[in-house]
Amino acid sequence: MNFRTALLGTTAAATAFIGLAPAAHAQRAADGNVKILYFQAVSVMNPYMSSGTKDVHGSSLVIEPLAGFDEKGGLVPRLVTEIPSVENGGISKDLTTITWKLTPGLKWSDGTPVTADDAVFTYEYCTNADMGCSQAARFQGIKTVEATDPQTIKITFTTPKPNPFSAFVGAASPVLQRAQFKDCVGAAAQTCTEQNTKPVGTGPFTVTDFKVNDVVQLAANANYRDPAKPAFATVTLKGGGDARASARAVMETGEFDYAWNTQINPEFQAQLAAGGKGELISAFSNNVERIELNLTDPSPDLPEGERSQIKNPHPILSDVRVRRALSMAMDRQLLVDVGYGAAGKPTCNVIPAPEIYASPNTNCHVQDIEGAKALLEEAGWTDSNGDGIRDKDGKKLSLLFQTSVNAVRQDFQALVKGWWTQIGVETELKAIEPSVFFGGDPGTPDTYQRFYAEAQLDTLDYDGTDPEAYLGQYVCANVPGPGNGWRGTNINRLCDPAYEKLLADLSKTADLNERAKIIISMNDLLTKDGYVSIPLVDRARLSAKSKTLGGVVLNAWDSELWNASDWYRIK
Amino acid sequence: MLTFVIRRLLLAIPTLLLISLVIFLLVDLAPGSPMSEIPRTVPPEVRERMMQAMGANEPVVVRYLLWLRQFFLVEPAYVIDSLMGTNLAGGAQRVLSWQSRMPVFDIIAQRLPQTLTVIGSAYLVGVLIALPIGIYSAYRQYSWFDQLGTFVTMVGSSVPTFFTGVLLIIVFSVNLGWFPSIYDTTLEVTDWASFKMQIMQMALPVTMLALHNATEISRYMRSSMLENLGQDYVRTARAKGMSERVVVLKHVLRNSLIPVVTVIALGIPTIFGGAIIAEQVFKVNGLGTALIGAINASDLPTVQTLTFIFAVLIVFFNLVADILYGILDPRIRYD
Amino acid sequence: MRDATGSAEPPLVRVRDLKMFFPVHTGVLRRHTGDVKAVDGVSFDIMEGETLGLVGESGCGKSTVGRALLRLCEITGGSVTIGGVDVATLSPAELRKARPLMQMVFQDPQASLNPRMTVAAIIGEPLDEHTTLSRDEKLARIYELMDAVGLNRRFASHYPHEFSGGQRQRIGIARALALNPKFIVCDEPIAALDVSIQAQVVNLLEDLQDRLGLTYLFISHDLSMVRHIADRVAVMYLGQIAELSPREALYAEPLHPYAKALLSAVPEPDPDREATRKRIILKGDVPSPANPPKGCNFCTRCPEAQERCHSTAPRLSEVAPGRFVACHRVTESAGATGATMANEHNQMGENE
Ligand SMILES: Nc1ncnc2c1ncn2[C@@H]1O[C@H](COP(=O)(O)OP(=O)(O)OP(=O)(O)O)[C@@H](O)[C@H]1O
Ligand SMILES: [Mg+2]
Repeated sequence: MNFRTALLGTTAAATAFIGLAPAAHAQRAADGNVKILYFQAVSVMNPYMSSGTKDVHGSSLVIEPLAGFDEKGGLVPRLVTEIPSVENGGISKDLTTITWKLTPGLKWSDGTPVTADDAVFTYEYCTNADMGCSQAARFQGIKTVEATDPQTIKITFTTPKPNPFSAFVGAASPVLQRAQFKDCVGAAAQTCTEQNTKPVGTGPFTVTDFKVNDVVQLAANANYRDPAKPAFATVTLKGGGDARASARAVMETGEFDYAWNTQINPEFQAQLAAGGKGELISAFSNNVERIELNLTDPSPDLPEGERSQIKNPHPILSDVRVRRALSMAMDRQLLVDVGYGAAGKPTCNVIPAPEIYASPNTNCHVQDIEGAKALLEEAGWTDSNGDGIRDKDGKKLSLLFQTSVNAVRQDFQALVKGWWTQIGVETELKAIEPSVFFGGDPGTPDTYQRFYAEAQLDTLDYDGTDPEAYLGQYVCANVPGPGNGWRGTNINRLCDPAYEKLLADLSKTADLNERAKIIISMNDLLTKDGYVSIPLVDRARLSAKSKTLGGVVLNAWDSELWNASDWYRIK
Repeated sequence: MLTFVIRRLLLAIPTLLLISLVIFLLVDLAPGSPMSEIPRTVPPEVRERMMQAMGANEPVVVRYLLWLRQFFLVEPAYVIDSLMGTNLAGGAQRVLSWQSRMPVFDIIAQRLPQTLTVIGSAYLVGVLIALPIGIYSAYRQYSWFDQLGTFVTMVGSSVPTFFTGVLLIIVFSVNLGWFPSIYDTTLEVTDWASFKMQIMQMALPVTMLALHNATEISRYMRSSMLENLGQDYVRTARAKGMSERVVVLKHVLRNSLIPVVTVIALGIPTIFGGAIIAEQVFKVNGLGTALIGAINASDLPTVQTLTFIFAVLIVFFNLVADILYGILDPRIRYD
Repeated sequence: MRDATGSAEPPLVRVRDLKMFFPVHTGVLRRHTGDVKAVDGVSFDIMEGETLGLVGESGCGKSTVGRALLRLCEITGGSVTIGGVDVATLSPAELRKARPLMQMVFQDPQASLNPRMTVAAIIGEPLDEHTTLSRDEKLARIYELMDAVGLNRRFASHYPHEFSGGQRQRIGIARALALNPKFIVCDEPIAALDVSIQAQVVNLLEDLQDRLGLTYLFISHDLSMVRHIADRVAVMYLGQIAELSPREALYAEPLHPYAKALLSAVPEPDPDREATRKRIILKGDVPSPANPPKGCNFCTRCPEAQERCHSTAPRLSEVAPGRFVACHRVTESAGATGATMANEHNQMGENE
């Protein structure tokens, strides 16, 4: 069993499906205009300038990576003939190089040929220190990117890479044209307005007009590799409003064909479905709404700089039984019904997908208040003074539970507080402006990194399908603190040698099944064994499409507009 | 009058500089970072680099001075260059948005047209309906028309615009399907059909804002009329045997308009500031949404530039209001 | 009525039973709950060329009488005839045509002039409305009027705020004269002016009266000034006339207790009489015109009030030739010689 075939087993099927759909509409630019609504408007058409989702998705209509992901998380070739693997010789046996072969005859939208040199340029462009490339992390660990011939791109890594599908894979890492961007290297990148808004690409469309943070107008790329695609002659990619209004524009007024990220409450979902003009579509990936628990003491009584630091273990949460009890009190299905409806499902894992990486753990799906109470008793937390709040050694079982300002999250906070109160845990709630909470300003005490609370509700997804980098966050060295300007990623302050041992093993393992085993163990250490995180809801992407729009396959692993070349008008 | 204007303009310079500094510090001190919209998967080093490339982690003084230079020297140079074909700017960096890396003035140029057409005409329509309503309400104080007007204006000013906006959409877009709910900024008026389209798509936002503006201005008009209607000179005019039309429209109205015109002039800068809610609800994407979007993204150069221009306009229209007052009211003289 | 006993010549102004009520609305629904009886049954005549003084304390309804006469407000009841025209019943268009006949000089010269019009426009506007003069003729007329009231022609294009109070009142007078009126209501034309200027304006008014044969209703609460200018004087109290007498008779011997009290406050020019002058201080406050007392409306403060004063209202009746008083005591002692105004009115009506 090798890495590619197992993980990408679905690729063939996916490509076959994509190949089939537009067969009946095999004429380019025959279907007129398609109107897409992103309530967060596109700011720039170059993901190296901005990693905002809207910008990545918008630019994916124009510029493409070598390979992308399909809706199941499998890799699909875009500019290359096939996905490299150890079997086909595309990946070296020692896992230090990967070689991509460009599809012959590929042209940029300006008619010039796409060559390996363009990929080399893209690498140089993004790794230039003065550029401030937002996707620089994708090119980490690369020693060289070379054009061994005009059709062949060879990437050499500094160390063996079990998962080499980061650079040039997925909508966030497209290939730019050297000819267009040659003067935009380094600091000059910032001022290349024309290039950043109207890139020359290989995708199905090209930009004809760009109004920043408002609307992008695109037209079919005359040099697109499939002469029968795209079916639409023009695209209007409009921005503005909110999720509710954009869902309404597709499903009630029918003014738009497609609306991105229409996260609306279940009640409104049902109401809009009755509008009859469109439908909501959803797709799951690895986006888990969870409660992070703080293993260190955030107490304001500690001197500044020592709050939420390893040397001060949390007096309550250090006991795994307490953490487990907190998780057992959750009614995850109710949370789904209240907050997400079709766009969510209960989960007990932080790595819920793809299938092979998902731990088969479902024991958290049933709420167990009594069990939680018993567990707290066992841990020595009893309600000695009868005020409904447990205590131990004169200390009350009291937690601060924070999150960002967001209607669903505040609903969740209230529900969770109710359950925790039932099991005798006093809960104080706090909601922080998202721009502050996620802003990462080291001077603000209210960031999620500081974690000056016992529990916080948030979500964290990761790029691509491989969770290695994501799991790598939970190591001792990554604990945010004054030493690193509060910029670590180990929010829970987990310092577990067993976990770090698994991580080290993972980085040396190439075999997919072995990797899956390790990943599942690590997931379990974070969840059902260690209860560092309390996963709640596996969140889907929820978008809306018109009933007259065909060919849409919602993809949560890549740009939602990944297959816009296959979209067509149902007549 | 001229010396008055010059003196006021000169006085405005230190005021505006101070305002610009205060805005800069306020925006800078506001919590939030330009990186807050970046996915959390982007590692800290990369964020650091991005901040550096934007110049966002320079000390605040440096950034302020740079902005001053860009705003007052570089941008005018670019304007002169594009008009005269000179090369004064010499490729110096303009005020760039952190969000999109676009020159902020280009963003403004892109957005001004829809802001002026939608918000501007809403203001105009608002004024045009407010004046007659205010005049008639005052002339027939306590009549059913006046009572209805009082009720409508009370409702109009107490119901928030986002509510009326969404209500209009539900009634006229969703249920009746008469007007679009989303403004198409790419529409170019070239012929009759596209003009009709433009009117259609302006209908809802303009109605909403015009009603909102009209309620306020009609109240001013009404109370100013009432005040003047009770004045002795009105009795004089009647005693002269002037017809009721002349009494109301010439004597009373012309005097009542003095404070109202001032209020109207002072309201004009809000057109440029855009109506944030109207623009959001109908996706007009004018200057209002540009500002709120920039605030949300902690896009300091954009916020700073827009608010500063707004401050300039406020100062300017204050002056205009004063001058208008001087012209309209012979009792006021500036020397 | 200066010589009401003899002359057959009809009065220029004839007012009968004039009533002017201002409705009072209260409550959320603004229901009509009562009236301010600002003028409640006032009758008098003014002969051509005569000046009738109208005095009384503030709020007694003097201005309202003046305005009602010129129909600057819609009267509640009674009749007003000026120069044979029944002003009270004219249609708005007819009323406008009748305007040139009667004019008013207002209490507050500042407020009564439109601040946005120049002096020329203020004086000239009625000419536009009521005459067909050419532009030059109009200008000539404006200058003529300015000369007549002693305003420098240079100021024609100035605005009212650029003038002193006295000058403003001259503008107001010039404006009132523009259409050659016969009858002018002067509503406290000097109250807002400096004492030094008051005499100038009053002299101007007298002078104009002589030259143009004007008839004045001169409203004032300055009794010495009224004594100076008026031929006959009406004393008003709470919306009604208490006494209406020739000037000399009134100042020599006021009959109505209110007139007595009022005049006792006036300094006498004659030092002997001034030495013996006794001030009568009235007790209590003026009742609200919205709720006047039953009976005689002065009974609450009258030092000589009797029982019947509290039950029946006295009528204004002639107690001596040319002297009309509304007081039970006075009519009694005088033996109720004359007819009341109302009766007289009826008789006249029959005669006509
Ligand atoms: N438009 C009006 N509405 C209601 N009440 C009024 C109105 N005009 C006058 N009044 C009332 O009528 C009464 C008489 O007012 P008027 O102005 O005639 O008094 P006045 O004798 O002229 O007083 P002054 O000497 O202060 O000018 C007052 O009580 C006043 O409040
Ligand atoms: Mg008065």
